[in-house]
Amino acid sequence: MSDRSVPRYEAALKVTGRAAYEGEVPAVGLLHAALVEVPIARGDVVAVDASEAERTSGFATMVSYADAEPLKPSPATALIRDRAVHFAGQPVALVVADTLSAARDAARAVRVTTQARPSVTHMAQALNTAYVPAMVGRFPSVSNRGDATAALADADRVVRHRYETAANIHHPLEPHAVVCWWEGDKAVVHTSTQAVFGTRAMIAHAFNMPPADIRVISRLLGGGFGCKGQLWWPWMFLAMLAAKKTGRPVRLELTRAQMFRLVGRRQETVQDLALGFSTNGCLTGIAHHVTAQSSTHAEYSDATAVYTRYLYACPNVTTSHLLVRTNEPQPVPMRAPGTAPGLFALESAMDEAAVRLGFDPVDLRVRNFADHDQEAGRPWSSNSLRDCYCIGAERFGWARRPAQGTAVDGRWRIGWGMASTMYPAIRQAAKVRVQLAADGAVLVQCGTQDMGSGTYTALGQITADALGVPVDRVTVELGDTVLPDGPFSGGSQVTASIFPAAAAATAKLRATIAAMAIADEASPLAGQRLDDLEFRDGSIRSRSGNVGEPWANVLARKGTEGLEAEGESGATQHPDLTATSMGYGAVFVEIGVNAGLGEIRVRRVCGAFAAGRILNPLLARSQYVGGLVGGIGMALHERTETDRATGRMLGETLADYLIPTHADMPEFDIALIEEDDPHLPGSVKGIGMLGTAGIQAAIANAVFHAVGKRVRSLPIRIEDVLGRR
Amino acid sequence: MMVETPTTAKGSHADAVATASVVALAFSINGRHCAVETVATAMLLDVIRDQLGLTGTKKGCDLGACGACTVLADGRRVKSCLALAASYDGADITTIEGIGTPDRLHPLQAAFIRHDALQCGYCTPGQILSGIALLAEKPKDIAAIREGMSGNLCRCGAYPNIVAAIAEVAGL
Amino acid sequence: MTSPPFRYARATSVDNAIAKGICNGSAFIAGGTDLLQLWKAGVTAPAEVVDISRLPLSEIDCSNDTLTIGALARLSSVAAHRDVAMHHPLIADTILASASGQIRNMATVGGNLLQRTRCVYFRGQDVPCNKRQPGSGCGARDGVSRQAALFGTSAACVATNASDLAVVLIALDAEINIQGGAGARRVCLSELYRLPGDTPAQDTTLVAGDLITGVIVRNVARFAGRMTYLKVRDRASFEFAVVSVAAALHIENGVIVESRLVAGGIAPLPWRLTQSETMLLGKVPSDAVFVAAGDLAIQGAQPLSENGFKIELLRNSVFRALQTIGGAS
Ligand SMILES: Cc1cc2nc3c(=O)[nH]c(=O)nc-3n(C[C@H](O)[C@H](O)[C@H](O)COP(=O)(O)OP(=O)(O)OC[C@H]3O[C@@H](n4cnc5c(N)ncnc54)[C@H](O)[C@@H]3O)c2cc1C
Ligand code: SF4
Ligand code: FES
Ligand code: FES
Repeated sequence: MSDRSVPRYEAALKVTGRAAYEGEVPAVGLLHAALVEVPIARGDVVAVDASEAERTSGFATMVSYADAEPLKPSPATALIRDRAVHFAGQPVALVVADTLSAARDAARAVRVTTQARPSVTHMAQALNTAYVPAMVGRFPSVSNRGDATAALADADRVVRHRYETAANIHHPLEPHAVVCWWEGDKAVVHTSTQAVFGTRAMIAHAFNMPPADIRVISRLLGGGFGCKGQLWWPWMFLAMLAAKKTGRPVRLELTRAQMFRLVGRRQETVQDLALGFSTNGCLTGIAHHVTAQSSTHAEYSDATAVYTRYLYACPNVTTSHLLVRTNEPQPVPMRAPGTAPGLFALESAMDEAAVRLGFDPVDLRVRNFADHDQEAGRPWSSNSLRDCYCIGAERFGWARRPAQGTAVDGRWRIGWGMASTMYPAIRQAAKVRVQLAADGAVLVQCGTQDMGSGTYTALGQITADALGVPVDRVTVELGDTVLPDGPFSGGSQVTASIFPAAAAATAKLRATIAAMAIADEASPLAGQRLDDLEFRDGSIRSRSGNVGEPWANVLARKGTEGLEAEGESGATQHPDLTATSMGYGAVFVEIGVNAGLGEIRVRRVCGAFAAGRILNPLLARSQYVGGLVGGIGMALHERTETDRATGRMLGETLADYLIPTHADMPEFDIALIEEDDPHLPGSVKGIGMLGTAGIQAAIANAVFHAVGKRVRSLPIRIEDVLGRR
Repeated sequence: MMVETPTTAKGSHADAVATASVVALAFSINGRHCAVETVATAMLLDVIRDQLGLTGTKKGCDLGACGACTVLADGRRVKSCLALAASYDGADITTIEGIGTPDRLHPLQAAFIRHDALQCGYCTPGQILSGIALLAEKPKDIAAIREGMSGNLCRCGAYPNIVAAIAEVAGL
Repeated sequence: MTSPPFRYARATSVDNAIAKGICNGSAFIAGGTDLLQLWKAGVTAPAEVVDISRLPLSEIDCSNDTLTIGALARLSSVAAHRDVAMHHPLIADTILASASGQIRNMATVGGNLLQRTRCVYFRGQDVPCNKRQPGSGCGARDGVSRQAALFGTSAACVATNASDLAVVLIALDAEINIQGGAGARRVCLSELYRLPGDTPAQDTTLVAGDLITGVIVRNVARFAGRMTYLKVRDRASFEFAVVSVAAALHIENGVIVESRLVAGGIAPLPWRLTQSETMLLGKVPSDAVFVAAGDLAIQGAQPLSENGFKIELLRNSVFRALQTIGGAS
């Protein structure tokens, strides 16, 4: 194992139960909150009557739209300021009481009168209202390169199909929670959020107060995956309003059932995809059109077809996105947003094409490799996708792939499939502060978060490396708005964003110490050349001459309190880019289908990923495996159920919404293909999302390979593959 | 609130508990005796987290489906979110706080760190308690560990590393 | 949203439990793993729970060819019991394919047999369900119906029974001991369950105060080595059955002289496949015979919009289960 594979920074706390998540912060006089929900899928709230609730024991107060009215209008306050009901099970009030059970008793006693109106409970009911959103993420909704329609009409072979993906739920194991209180006009908010600064900005806006008067703290998250963001704010605001009204700290924690409805979902998609080829297997035209669900109170679209613009070389590509508004909960980004559903369609269709054209699926992809970004007309900053194919295929043993439909293992019919994956490498603005104590202890701080993705460890390692000290000399502080402004956690961009900032801060410190040493008569380095000094093994030393000393000695002699420096880095400036940066991967899977019974189990996965330089191989592997596990869930298990008659979601439990278990785990083989990327600071790309995309199509392709059935709708379940014995 | 006494008496109210909305209970928690008064509807998980302040035990689903709330009751692993506290009166409960400390890790905790068997860490206490109970059942192979651990979900997908950590301690 | 609070009472004896259990609004609680789920989901709202978990009804005894399991024995204790593992591996295996290690440590045999349907409408909120709220309608029939039954349904309800153990115990002709206000009785387990008809709220033939005290399984040695429980599910573990089949064959001189086939996940109660059982009698085991048994099993199935695949699945499961146990031993 590499010496970069240091254990997770906060692991000892987590394995001993000492790790405190924000919803567990103790507070004197704490009140507990429960939300009051309405059954109708669309309509208006006429009245919320707390008179009976007020008589329940332990009741403290209720807040509803009347209390939220003074908040400034914004998407984050719309759901709680307005009386409109947008989906079944929407909360309209929050009750606080001495204990959680008292709060629930009181919430049950609140009488809500509503006026129902006709609702749309499924996309299919309102396809005629579909519209083109302005943007899908940071990309335009519609793209046209060349003339895809003409190219498809002229193509030697066309593969044209509809692909569908179900709505998924993020389900971090830690439910959203907040413990908040007011200190005069100042607010303290401990909450499980992927963006402490974003949350602070929204509170400042909603409550019309200076950001400096708000402290948001999120030092540990029990997972996020995209849902610990904006859709949590309205419910968190209600808790803050209750804290204000009562003058006491308030705690709100969502129930698992509420997590199905209140904090987002991966949007349901219907994708029409056509690939045109010449007989020699070159793509000549692609059309990828997506229709997806959004709610009636907000707008969001995954960039589902966007990656079809980049992955392969093709002169004629058209893509578009449509949204249909329904009275269902609002989607937000979820693990590999866009790429997971989009690559399911594209990489399934590529497999269908390989079969039609008589090509090996890997060969067909290699043949259509894009040697530059054809959409923007720019080079890649680096692109090792072909290495991923090659190394992945080699490790998996792809060359020994049996003929379709021939491999069996007892009752199991075996299939192999593969697919590509990709995700853009971007950076957000970030500031990092590094403090050195006179005894050589290092403190590094950044107001970003660690969702379990290893940010504490990465920042500690980057800092330790730069200062030439062992990682255990470094203390890392994250997740607090009193720290320097850091990026939100999402889009696999945190490490890439904080790396240059940490590098800048540590470079300043090295320069300062070096200057001090050179100027210090008492130092063995006195009078040395600045550019000859290096930081290694806790020391500052000259490279050429064999002299040096622990750098802490330099500080100690000066009798300083220590040193401090801040580093700053900017966000990716997309229009100015000279090269397009993405991470890539190729995933190979072996699945078994229990003949006649339709059970599908993944047996073996090999993922080869190329995403810049890997800071910590141990944690990188965990990230990739975790992503692949999420992808297996999307491929085989995860779908929400909604009663179309009432619009109410059904099966809001983890016994009904299935995610993979230990027993579902295949053998994983992860190949980390390291890249030097001169365009990126430290060659750091993000890795988190890569594993979650691609594997869905690889599994669907393997299912075809096993039983000859093409399943174009996720999740793939028993009924989709069931055949006679 | 928690009252600590030096004895470890078991079963404070061995005989009939009259019909009540509030119940007085006594447990041994991590070897310490403690007495609590709680509503009849309280789950063991609520008592452990909210009344005793032992927040190492997590609430992931509150319906028995995730395993985050796993504790040992009289040596057997149970899901404390579906355990009516009153039914466990007198029980000997072990939570993650009773397993090891950062300075004195249980071998399985150390193996979790070595194998990076955790990401966000929210399922981790439950995985470890479940793993300790499973180790006592002497799983015969990796498949038995996977099956035996399937009551503990991990949304971050740390599964293979968790199994590797348990297998190492089991000597497999 | 949770139901209103309940009071707690601990039963001190079987008689005391029955006396408390007869009272309006009271519910027994054993392991609590189903009752508390339902209470938390707002599905059941007992005024009082009567804790029976400490009653001395958890003995497991295997003697004189008869297995007796106390109703309060924990599933894990049953599965781990030496005699059960040795003489009734089918019961042990079925338990180990149910729920998870933690739940099996909590759940009792009696509670398992009485767990309520997993129908998502029944366990949901703000949706119609005649079982939860008589007269409100059946949401599943025209709605999300993947879980729904193929047999034994009524206009009022199409829910399935979720217990794995019940399927196997019925295949083994188990009986149960019941003690209630009217004294003690012993009935076949199959008589415990009832079809929904017009009154789906009532799952069983028990009346208020009835306490299941034990389960009796008589000699099944004639099936030794030829029993299996096939549980088909979407994921590899920790899930209820999509479809399941318990099968047992007694083969003498190469001919099937007795057979048991019971299916789960397809009916409001463990569904005995009588026609298939009868057809097998006197036959020499062969794939063709097992195929025919599968074909008979699905006769009369009434699918809804989303559960039609279970017909094929049932047919294939019957075949597979028979094939597993019907070969040369
Ligand atoms: C996440 C999860 C997954 C599960 N998966 C499975 C599975 O795969 N297969 C499966 O079969 N089950 C499964 N179960 C169900 C589980 O097996 C049952 O919840 C359990 O067996 C119920 O037993 P209990 O003792 O906890 O019952 P309780 O919840 O205590 O009682 C259930 C009902 O029975 C009544 N009752 C209990 N004992 C008696 C008695 N002796 N006499 C009269 N009435 C009595 C109670 O009043 C109550 O109405 C699962 C449960 C969960 C939570
Ligand atoms: S099938 Fe039965 S339990 Fe399900 S909704 Fe219909 S009535 Fe209710
Ligand atoms: S919190 Fe108890 S099993 Fe999920
Ligand atoms: S480590 Fe996050 S849920 Fe397991």
